[in-house]
Amino acid sequence: MIFKPRLIRFRDFRLSTKLMIAYLLLTVLPMSLLGYISYAQYAKSIIQQAGEDMPEFLDQANANIDKHLSDLAALPDLLFNSEEALSILRRDSYQSRADLNRDQYAMNSYLSRTYIEGGYQDVVGVFILSKHRVFESSKWKVSGMDWNRVPNPYGEDPELGGQARILLPGEAGLRFANGEPYLLLMRQINDTDNRKILGTMLVAIQLSYIDHVLRNLERTANAQLWMMNAQGEIIYHTDRGKIGARDQETAYYPLKSGSFIRRGAGPSRLISLSPSEVYGWSLAYSIPLADLTRRTDLVRNVTILIFIVFVTITALFSVLFSLRVTRPLHKLSILMKEVETGNFRVDLPVERRDEAGMLAQSFNSMVSTIRDLIDKNYRIEISHKEAELYALQSQIQPHFLYNTLESIGMAVEEGEKETVVEMVTLLGRMLRFSVGNKSKYVTIGEELQHTRDYLAIQKFRFEDRLTFAIGNNAVCAGEPRYTPKFILQPVVENAVKHGLEARRSLHLDISADREVRDSGEWDIVFRVRDNGPGISPERMRELEAQLQTDELDRRDSGLGLKNVNARIRIMLGRDYGLQLHSRPGEGTEVELRIPELTSPGGPTKARGGENRG
Amino acid sequence: MIRMIIALLIVGLAASCGAGSPAPRYEVIYSPDNEPVSRTEPKPSPRTYTMAIVPKAMEIPYFRAANDGAQEAAKDLGVEVIYRGPAIADAGQQIKVIRSLIEQKVHLLAVSANDPERLVPVLQEARQEGIKVITWDSDTRPEARDFFVNMVDPETLGRHLMDTLALSMGEKGEFAIMTGSLSAANLNEWIHWIQVQQKENYPDMKLTEIVPTDDNPRKAYAAAQKLLADHPRLGGIIGNSSIAAPAAAQAVKDSGQSGKIKVVGLSTPLAMRSYLEEGSAQTATLWSPKKLGYLTVALAVNDLNGRFPQNGEEIRNVGKIRVNKDQVIMGEPLDFTRENVNQYDF
Repeated sequence: MIFKPRLIRFRDFRLSTKLMIAYLLLTVLPMSLLGYISYAQYAKSIIQQAGEDMPEFLDQANANIDKHLSDLAALPDLLFNSEEALSILRRDSYQSRADLNRDQYAMNSYLSRTYIEGGYQDVVGVFILSKHRVFESSKWKVSGMDWNRVPNPYGEDPELGGQARILLPGEAGLRFANGEPYLLLMRQINDTDNRKILGTMLVAIQLSYIDHVLRNLERTANAQLWMMNAQGEIIYHTDRGKIGARDQETAYYPLKSGSFIRRGAGPSRLISLSPSEVYGWSLAYSIPLADLTRRTDLVRNVTILIFIVFVTITALFSVLFSLRVTRPLHKLSILMKEVETGNFRVDLPVERRDEAGMLAQSFNSMVSTIRDLIDKNYRIEISHKEAELYALQSQIQPHFLYNTLESIGMAVEEGEKETVVEMVTLLGRMLRFSVGNKSKYVTIGEELQHTRDYLAIQKFRFEDRLTFAIGNNAVCAGEPRYTPKFILQPVVENAVKHGLEARRSLHLDISADREVRDSGEWDIVFRVRDNGPGISPERMRELEAQLQTDELDRRDSGLGLKNVNARIRIMLGRDYGLQLHSRPGEGTEVELRIPELTSPGGPTKARGGENRG
Repeated sequence: MIRMIIALLIVGLAASCGAGSPAPRYEVIYSPDNEPVSRTEPKPSPRTYTMAIVPKAMEIPYFRAANDGAQEAAKDLGVEVIYRGPAIADAGQQIKVIRSLIEQKVHLLAVSANDPERLVPVLQEARQEGIKVITWDSDTRPEARDFFVNMVDPETLGRHLMDTLALSMGEKGEFAIMTGSLSAANLNEWIHWIQVQQKENYPDMKLTEIVPTDDNPRKAYAAAQKLLADHPRLGGIIGNSSIAAPAAAQAVKDSGQSGKIKVVGLSTPLAMRSYLEEGSAQTATLWSPKKLGYLTVALAVNDLNGRFPQNGEEIRNVGKIRVNKDQVIMGEPLDFTRENVNQYDF
């Protein structure tokens, strides 16, 4: 399973990449395969055709050469037409040197007349070896003859019989002055009348006659044509330099007649062979395959060019197409991220009616539906909460009212008229604050005044047991600052209640301060400090846990702190709220933090989603 | 899918790797259907043939020379050749010889017939035994043999003999013909053409007598002496057989009339050399009996292999032959004179 990682990687490719790969696999690959296969088949059929034709041409050439050679092999028979020549050849001994020279002169001129000037244009030399005499005539001056190297130069060669044999130039060492390549046709001269062998005749044949026969076969410059004997010795070669050399591979050729392809060092070649019926040699033709298929190269190049153009164009189309498919998806994913961060006011433009367009449409309708649902639920929640808030902020404890009224009653009994008047005034002002003003926000001064009023009333009741001080430092250039209504009084009420339960006397310090945050914004911080019993750590943990929730609890007055905290957080955001600091036995400090509000309409800046609407 | 492509690539890579090997590889793409199985011709004689060459008479130099050629051919062609004939040119004795050869179950008889008629029954008998029969030098009737190996065209030879004598005699005078056996077909045909030529071209010449010699040297010499005695005005003699010509020359020489009475005829150079050189004979005409013997054996072997001679056929070590129906003609006659007689050794 070594391919597994690749598999996973492919799966993880981008869709556009996958589309392009799929395109390549489905179009480029089959097309190039098809093109390659058809080209290869075409080239192969050309080679096959050449392989079938060539041996036939060679057979024909061979037949021509054989015919020609057999004509030439009959040349020695001409000797028998001349009594003079015959009588010279039959002579065994001479009386004198002059006698011999006379015969030699006569014979040489006979050979010249008959063969060299006799209209046999391919015959360039005639040599007769007879009884240790040499008669010769040739077109050009010759050198290097060593007749003793010729098999059985003067004697009988039973193998030869009446048949002609071909000698290679190397066998006789004969060389023409002008370097003309040649073949020696050797034939025994038989005196059929006397049943004796008169000698051996060698006819030198110009190779150009083979050129002539083979001229039509050699098609291109790279083609080679040669004639070799069974041992691979090259008798004739279109490259003259190779005549007399040896074709080393002859022994390995898979057949004697026909065509085959040779692959190996150098370019692959088609080699065709055709053996001679008579002389046992073979004509061989060799041509590089590339030359044979050259004509197909134009077809191949044009095909490749068209293929490249086509692939380029369609690849461009495929890139465009895959981008058109994937771009809306990409856009969609960006918009989805935005929705995730809370922005529901997104709109994906629908440009098309295809699947991508449908997806965009669905997305748009989904987002707007979600947005509507959120709006609807949020408003319901807000109105619900506002009703609760209203109920809380306008609440004055009946218990407090009862106590106050009782105190007023006692003062009336005791005739303390001024006290009564003051208490009633305070109570009236408190009631007006809680009932009369329906707005959610009041100035800090009003809120502190309300707290002061409350504490003043309580001081009538608890007299020296309760002392307090209120400081407002949260003023700025005379501009009023605002705070949610009714947040301070429950805290103070809570402190008074718990403090006087445990202590003989209680002192409260209440302050409002303006503080700068790290971000440069200004906050208003209310602090209510008492010297009461403090809060035990266990209770502290409970309280802090309760403060984390936004829930409002109307019933339990013990949870007045919780309600205040929840209200601040709902109205102003989670950055604000209530904090407790306490040391058991020494006192408690409650800190209320709100933003600096400059208008009675609440915060001007939207903070998250909570104070929407 | 991917895996398949990779697998294909690996296979392709492996295949292309093979191309780099240095040793050349060969891939046959065409081989002709008629692939030459073997170029060796079918063996001429799967078993050794035995054939008999039957001359007119055993000891005549002409036939001995023919036997030389026959034995040479026997060696070349790998057959056994028996040379056996009668002591003298006699048909009766020849029949006896042929009988013995039939009993010996030779494969072929090549006969130079002393009598074209009398030999027919025995030759037909041989053929019934499955022995092939051909004739050479002297023919029988056609029904007794497959073909006849003739040396020269009889018309050419007969006319030529007449011409050589006429040239020697200056185209006038009396002349006589000495022949072998009066029954020998070939001799008689030549005589016929000698007479035709004389009548057509040489009105001043006259044929006085035709005498037989039976190819017997003594009888021939006696016949020549008788001719010289009977015809005092005789100007020339044609020796129509190889024994007759030297006998005539000897008789002319012995009578002291060398050069005066011209002698031409058919005989071997060896037999005629001395007469030609001293002038007792003017021209000898013949063919090479060795060549004839060789050709006869060569054609006999072909015949045993079922091959009939063809006109223009090239017989190895002999040359081209002509064939006229069932008659093979070896070639042209040779003239031997004082100048060239030394070139021949038969």
